[in-house]
Amino acid sequence: MAEEFEPKIVAFLCKWCSSAGSDLAGVSRMEYPYNVVPITVMCSGSISPLYILSAFSRGADGVLVSGCHPGDCHYIKGNFYARRRIALINKLLDFIGLEPQRFQMSWVSAAEGTKYTEIIKDFVKELKPLGPQTKLGRDL
Amino acid sequence: MQKVLTKKSLPQWVKKLLSYTIYTPVEEDDHWNFVATDNPEDINLDYPLTTLSPKKIIFPQREIFLEFCDSTEGNPEVKEVLPAEKSAVIFGVRPCDAKALTFTDKVFGGDFKDIYYWKRRNQTTLVGISCNTPPYTNCFCVSVNGSPYSKEGLDILLTDLGDKYFVETYTKKGEKLLNLAKGLFKSPTAKDKKDLEKIRIDSKKKIKRQIKNIKKIPPKLKEMFDSPFWDEESMSCLRCGICTYLCPTCHCFDINDEITSSSPIKGKRIRTWDTCQFPDFTMHSSGHNPRPDKASRLRQRILHKFLYFVDRYQNYQCTGCGRCISLCPVGIDLLEVLDKVRDYGS
Amino acid sequence: MVSLEDLKKEAKQILKENKVKYIIGYKKSTNGLMPVPAFIKEPEEVEKLVWDPTCVFNLTRYLVDEKRRKTKEKEPDERPVGLVVKGCDSRAINILLQEKFINREDVYLLGVSCENTGVLDEKKLTKKIKGEKVKKVEFDEKDNFIITTQEGKTKIPAKEILANRCLECKANFPVIYDVLLGEKAKRSIDNPFESIEKIESLSTEERWTFWKKQLDKCIRCYACRSVCPMCYCDECVADTISFAVTADTTAEEKAQKIKWVEKSPVSSENFIYHMVRAIHLAGRCIDCGECERACPLDIPLRFLNRKLEKEAKELFGFEAGFDPDQPSLISCFKDEDPEDFIR
Ligand code: SF4
Ligand code: SF4
Ligand code: SF4
Ligand code: SF4
Ligand code: FES
Repeated sequence: MAEEFEPKIVAFLCKWCSSAGSDLAGVSRMEYPYNVVPITVMCSGSISPLYILSAFSRGADGVLVSGCHPGDCHYIKGNFYARRRIALINKLLDFIGLEPQRFQMSWVSAAEGTKYTEIIKDFVKELKPLGPQTKLGRDL
Repeated sequence: MQKVLTKKSLPQWVKKLLSYTIYTPVEEDDHWNFVATDNPEDINLDYPLTTLSPKKIIFPQREIFLEFCDSTEGNPEVKEVLPAEKSAVIFGVRPCDAKALTFTDKVFGGDFKDIYYWKRRNQTTLVGISCNTPPYTNCFCVSVNGSPYSKEGLDILLTDLGDKYFVETYTKKGEKLLNLAKGLFKSPTAKDKKDLEKIRIDSKKKIKRQIKNIKKIPPKLKEMFDSPFWDEESMSCLRCGICTYLCPTCHCFDINDEITSSSPIKGKRIRTWDTCQFPDFTMHSSGHNPRPDKASRLRQRILHKFLYFVDRYQNYQCTGCGRCISLCPVGIDLLEVLDKVRDYGS
Repeated sequence: MVSLEDLKKEAKQILKENKVKYIIGYKKSTNGLMPVPAFIKEPEEVEKLVWDPTCVFNLTRYLVDEKRRKTKEKEPDERPVGLVVKGCDSRAINILLQEKFINREDVYLLGVSCENTGVLDEKKLTKKIKGEKVKKVEFDEKDNFIITTQEGKTKIPAKEILANRCLECKANFPVIYDVLLGEKAKRSIDNPFESIEKIESLSTEERWTFWKKQLDKCIRCYACRSVCPMCYCDECVADTISFAVTADTTAEEKAQKIKWVEKSPVSSENFIYHMVRAIHLAGRCIDCGECERACPLDIPLRFLNRKLEKEAKELFGFEAGFDPDQPSLISCFKDEDPEDFIR
């Protein structure tokens, strides 16, 4: 029997909240799918659209960007900037015809280990029926 | 060999050639382009110039040289990649574009023979079409030792005689294509030959643009290397790749290792077109750039075509197709530049 | 219509008074229908200038070259450059000012209004006049162009030959200028985003098929980038050399450079290039349509930029190029920015 498709998710997590949130999920031994490759960045505001495009280009089936809740950013405004930028890239990805389910953004605080696991579980569930992402994957 | 072929039997001939990859000009959006087809009805010989010349088939913009993989440490596997063995026929090649291939033949066929280029070149048969009326407003083949019915570089040349084509073959490769459909080709009548003559004389007259006294240009260019002329002429240039990428004679390339996986390291060595008009073309790794501005880059384009190439191969590296003129986004006109060069200082 | 004589008079005047270094305007082309850039230094050369609805190019692009040249000069001439600007071009000036790429005193703007019309699309025009040489282009104020060729006059409805961008232009007169020629008259348009709404209404897969077909044609000649007044980076992420190398750059730094986009003109790399360019132009593109005009493969690049222009307007109430003092789109935010897409 063919193995079930396991999507690869690249998650850009800000160090102060979302990454800490995912750590909490880990140390609390919460169970969640192993499909995520987390990449810790200093702040959601530091995520260049190029990171997102590169992740898709190197074969990510889904990309998650996650930062502190509005008002909680360690650098005060980073996540507000991120919110604008990500809204635009989100629209652009949709416009060129990438399935909208493949790109997500979330606010996850250091205390929200459970929310993080929920997000990942849902993300995996939504990606499975889509199959592998080949549209933006490198075809060199 | 001289023959005639009725227009109606063209698709029947092509049907016999389906073991080859067949290319024909096709209209895409607002321009024309050579595209592979397996439908004999698609062949279209009544078209203006294509944006990209058949150079893109013989010397593709991207060529894979080899593949590498470093899965076993210190013992990388390297696999040579050669162009696929598949004979091809390109229909509707303009005489200027075919002639351009005789120049790239020289460049890729000197002491070192470029196997990638020659593999494609040798397995491709070029079926040309005479330009009874110039396909472009900026055609000037006649000024650079060409003609709208030049046979240079072609295997077969077709000339539209109304309801039939006059067919001339110049090589074994060309004859072979005719032999595959012998019954379709008839011997030309005296009238056909007379019509051909007349069309040819007319076709040359219809070419509007020209360079006068082109012979004066190379010696003049030799003196103009340091001239402020280039600053003036390049003012509006954008340093894009259009004039060179689309030129059928331009042949500069770059070679890069493109990585598809970083652990284990996997990738391909790839040749891509490159152009003297890009600022990073001559960029040294020290940060020094010997051609630092637009002026030196425009000068390079003109000097390469009308001085260095002439010195080396006794021909202008230009076949008068007019692409660089018509497609330059800011209207830089090669012929105007050359006129000014010829008259510079006099 | 703006009178060419008035334009010449202004140009001559500022050159005579030594107010400007030189003037960038339009002159007749030697080989095509559309006038080409003219760089005019002497008052006598002013006669070369032309102005009519075939003056499509956005000349603000040359301020980038001017700036590069100036930084190399030991004793730069500090006088401004005279520049002929249409509505869209003037909005590009505002962006360059907003980003402090130029200062207001670097330019002397000869604003020309498109007065109810706009400029022509060369390809559309060529099809209509079938290879004739154009002698004169006039607008009859009733939404028709009168094109005079050696065969006589033809009347063509404006919407059939106007450049795509002009069909959707929201301000067809200069918004910043030193002299203004012509009236600030606005042509009314029903829906400025009509063209992209057609694509938006397609399904995800149809949109993908559309873009894949279009972007696969790209040969990465970078004419779209080179012609754009906003693409002024010294090094673009799409170049093989992805950061400015100087004599001090160490070998290690060079080895660690990231190649975001490979040189191979294949689908994946073409998409990254074009998406990055679109994102980098979000809130900056003023829709002069030059990228699309320059593209030799007729890739509808305007759609990418228009899409983000539309989103900027709808999501953030942002419009590019009208106010040089407003912060740029992605260097500001509002508390109420939408976040319904965030979990
Ligand atoms: S096509 Fe024109 S603008 Fe582009 S590099 Fe050539 S001369 Fe310059
Ligand atoms: S230099 Fe220009 S006209 Fe000559 S062959 Fe090349 S593209 Fe054609
Ligand atoms: S886009 Fe507007 S301002 Fe620009 S040329 Fe067209 S009508 Fe004029
Ligand atoms: S101008 Fe067209 S072909 Fe050239 S890089 Fe831009 S999109 Fe690609
Ligand atoms: S530090 Fe978490 S979003 Fe800025």
